[in-house]
Amino acid sequence: MPKDGSPSCTTFVSSDHFLGFQSAMLVLVVRRLVVAGFALWGIATLVFVLLRVLPGDPARTILAASGASEMAIAQARQQMGLDEALPVQYGRYLWNLARGDLGRSLFSNRPVLLTITEQLPFTIELALASLVITVAIGLGLGMVAALYAGSWIDRMAAGIAVLGVSTPLFWSGLLLIWLFSLVLRWLPASGADSWRHLVMPAVLLGCVGAAPLIRLVRSNLLTTLQADYITVARSKGLPETLVLLRHALRNALLPGLNLIGLQAGFLLGGTVVTETVFARPGLGRVVVDAILWKDLPVVQGAVLLVASIYIVVNLAVDLITIVLDPRQRGA
Amino acid sequence: MRRTRGLTLLALLAFTLIVRFVMHAEVVDVASADAPLSRQEATLLYGLTLSPSGIDPHVNASSELGIPLRSVYDTLVYRATGSPEASQQFVPGLAESWEISEDGLTYTFHLRRDVKFHDGTPFNAAAVQANLQRIVDPATRSQKAVFLLGPFRSVETIDEYTVAIHLFSPYAPLLDGLSQVYLGMASPQALTRWGVDYQFHQVGTGPFRFEEYVPNDHLTIVRNDEYAWGPSIHDHQGPAHLERVVFRFFTDPAGRSLALQAGDVHVMGEIPPLDAARLQEDEHFTVVPVPIPGQSLGLILNTQRPPLDDVRVRRALLFATNREEIVQAIFGGFSPPATGPLSSATFGHIEMPDTLVRFDPAEAAQLLEEAGYTDTDGDGVRDRNGQPLLLDAVLMTWGSLPEVAQLLQAQWMTVGVQLRLRTLTYPAALEAARAGDYHLIPQNYAGSDPDLLHTYYHSNSTFNWTRATDVVLDDLLERARELGDPAARAELYAQAQKRIMELVLLIPIRDPVNLNGVSTRVQGLRFDAQGWFPILHDVRLQ
Repeated sequence: MPKDGSPSCTTFVSSDHFLGFQSAMLVLVVRRLVVAGFALWGIATLVFVLLRVLPGDPARTILAASGASEMAIAQARQQMGLDEALPVQYGRYLWNLARGDLGRSLFSNRPVLLTITEQLPFTIELALASLVITVAIGLGLGMVAALYAGSWIDRMAAGIAVLGVSTPLFWSGLLLIWLFSLVLRWLPASGADSWRHLVMPAVLLGCVGAAPLIRLVRSNLLTTLQADYITVARSKGLPETLVLLRHALRNALLPGLNLIGLQAGFLLGGTVVTETVFARPGLGRVVVDAILWKDLPVVQGAVLLVASIYIVVNLAVDLITIVLDPRQRGA
Repeated sequence: MRRTRGLTLLALLAFTLIVRFVMHAEVVDVASADAPLSRQEATLLYGLTLSPSGIDPHVNASSELGIPLRSVYDTLVYRATGSPEASQQFVPGLAESWEISEDGLTYTFHLRRDVKFHDGTPFNAAAVQANLQRIVDPATRSQKAVFLLGPFRSVETIDEYTVAIHLFSPYAPLLDGLSQVYLGMASPQALTRWGVDYQFHQVGTGPFRFEEYVPNDHLTIVRNDEYAWGPSIHDHQGPAHLERVVFRFFTDPAGRSLALQAGDVHVMGEIPPLDAARLQEDEHFTVVPVPIPGQSLGLILNTQRPPLDDVRVRRALLFATNREEIVQAIFGGFSPPATGPLSSATFGHIEMPDTLVRFDPAEAAQLLEEAGYTDTDGDGVRDRNGQPLLLDAVLMTWGSLPEVAQLLQAQWMTVGVQLRLRTLTYPAALEAARAGDYHLIPQNYAGSDPDLLHTYYHSNSTFNWTRATDVVLDDLLERARELGDPAARAELYAQAQKRIMELVLLIPIRDPVNLNGVSTRVQGLRFDAQGWFPILHDVRLQ
């Protein structure tokens, strides 16, 4: 048994199957990478244009508090390269991107790559923790709701889903802080130092992400459980848990996987409200601050990074789908 | 195989968490203000309200950077603390004494000989020269420090402990600039060694050493045990009482008092007024309101844009404004009403006479009638030549400005003036200001010298958003900037403030006040003459 656990090497797979699977994967990856290149170029261009359309002059913003003269502002603009013609700026921007240089923040003068990557561990930590919670709650409640469709458990799960989708984070976050930090004194209200700091934000984001997953798993599972092969499995006398876990869930999960992928992309892009409420570092705050202050290189770099994350996560989801769903392999 | 993938994911998660906690192990020790352990007794946890984009005091401009770094750097001089009058005096810092030449163009500083930077480098005239040269170097892109030096010409080392600053023209606010953390003295060796990364490796001479800064997360300073050269504004000499101060960033106003009460911090700045009222009822906390010197918080009037080119209309708006009601309703009385362009904590501030500034809706209506505005169509809004009296206010989200403007809307409607509100981001508001695309726009910059009136009201200034050109006012501001004698300066600034209100260049609303929430365990917390910056050297934790 190979260590990587890839199905392509398992002994019972025929050589035809093996080749088909491998080449399908390869074609998909190559095709996706080419598309990704174009997508990133399009995104880079779009961000560039959008930022130039937004009102505001970074040089003026930086110097306003000092009451600088118009001449000093013009000098600063020149130093930042913002006085050049837009096509020149655009060309330089693309050239630098191609060399992997995201530039420096206009405000802190630090490399954009560093500004973003130093926030990434905080963002990844929160994203992974809340994804685990999303999957656990989403699958668990979704399955229970499907198995006991129409019962009070089902209605409760529906209620939780509605609550999760419709409660604003800045409000539910403050409620959690009030309850667990102030009244019960179980958890710290702010920061990102230990697992205790992670509990509230992760649970909050996890529940919000679980809400749509509960509904999706429930409806897919209900449909799947009506399918002929399930009836066959049951009539063979398989125990109900085995029917559910091995046969029904595997098929019902595929659309859920896409949803989880989207959720992962969203979480890795930063979650500004949660970060702000719990005073956590993270990508979201960096990006929103950069937009509000019009720190052009930081916004451009962050958007490209988040877009890349989306592309990679989506690619991973597609690959996992192929592994789980043999029907996709020929496609 | 599915199990293997699951395990991989779990392992990845575990790895990330372990790495993070090892990285932050030291901070975990001090993460709770409630912690009873003895070695944590001397760690103060301090909540900041903004996560600065950069924290090099020579480069960046925010007040937030100064709150921690005021204790890392010493300055050549310090402003005395106390009343606005007392704080017009400067006391020795890294300079034992200084002389100003007759013509006001040369400041000579005699430096202390017993001072060492945190990295062991001796402090001397060459260090002062290296610092000032760094600040004025265009490559530094200084956002504030270079402007505090005014008409700076050059810096000259006279001997090892004597240094002179030469100016192009007399500039009375120079000592004010030199007393601020933005002109704090940094180790020349560290500046050379770290270059653009200096902000993560700052080295000063102050009572605390810079230890660590993780953007958006925390900034830590630790006690400098060798500190023996504190200024007289400190209550005690020798090293600070606290061992360590950890600063964290709380950008969400709604969460600040919760974090304070939950024990995450001992001190929290900028508590929203309604939360401050609630906090006062908790026996474990006190609210310390600190008035901030500088501009009062109000709305600047664009005197070039009709109908505000008519001083009668501007005065009508001033008289239709019930500042007391706004201050009570929105700021719970924590922020005193302002009557002029300077906040009352600023040197030279005067209270305006009733003749210039008062709440008098009847007089406001009368003035609008005189200016030709009547409500001809009975819709509640006055009009002239078929044009309704409609004003456009640009707003930003800070300082409860949207709420203030909504109350103004209601107050002005009673005299038949309609106000339209437009909330913009800061860069967009600055753009609107540049283009003159507003009738009213807020402006609030802090500063301990009244010379800031020159920046915001002189006709030549970029930031004169009143767009007024008044030779009398210009002359007052130019002369006051060059005068050495504080009493004579104060007299000129009194005239300038009156002139500004005679011309009605702004609608003053209130004095800015920083509402600090403080745990009762914190003893001896005071703030310096700038208002924003705590004197952490004297603070104890019980």
